[in-house]
Amino acid sequence: MAIDPLASSLRLAGAGLQTQSARLRVVAENIANAQSTGTSAGADPYARKTITFESIFNRASGDNLVGIKAIGVDKTPFRVEHMPGNPAADDKGDVKMPNVDLLFEMADMREANRSYEANLQVVKQSRDMINQTIELMRT
Amino acid sequence: MIGALLPLAANVVNTLTSVAAPTSAAAATAGSDFSTALAHASGDAVKTLRTAETVSMAGIEGKANVQQVVENVMTAERTLQTTLAIRDKAVAAYQQISQMPI
Repeated sequence: MAIDPLASSLRLAGAGLQTQSARLRVVAENIANAQSTGTSAGADPYARKTITFESIFNRASGDNLVGIKAIGVDKTPFRVEHMPGNPAADDKGDVKMPNVDLLFEMADMREANRSYEANLQVVKQSRDMINQTIELMRT
Repeated sequence: MIGALLPLAANVVNTLTSVAAPTSAAAATAGSDFSTALAHASGDAVKTLRTAETVSMAGIEGKANVQQVVENVMTAERTLQTTLAIRDKAVAAYQQISQMPI
């Protein structure tokens, strides 16, 4: 039996919603840990996390769902600040700060939000089209 | 034909709320009549609604995310709407026959 394309687009948009919420989770993690230094002297602080997406082919329905490929670690060097009083300071008084740039995180958050909205719109539209078609049987 | 169809259509709606096991109709193969196909579809409808209930409960317990709950509840709603529309059509056909001047 052929798969209903409208039901298929609902499922695709649903996968998009889940992926974008995972992206927002990573952004939240980065923003929350923007000041998290290491615990011992000279230790590495929190490293910014990155998220990548991939297209997953669904053999049963023949469509390409979106999914999370990997949650990786940003390789950008850490910022160094001179704070001799900090427990994480090395023998020169330098503290490694996380490589989180709030500007990037804000941009990423906005993009996740826009993408989420777009997927929601697809859900709304498919549902409307399905309901309108079912309504034909009622008249 | 219609007489056999009506109890089936009513059965679809009844089984949605009852706790009885879903209609164990065999897969509708080519050559089977409409009643068998409808019974098969009603079995699927019940399964969809069960899934929606399970996921909703998991959502309340915090084990499923909002997107999953909404997706499954919407699928269940769509299935119910379709089933109701088909039942209404079957009832209308039955009434038309029963009101036929003899």
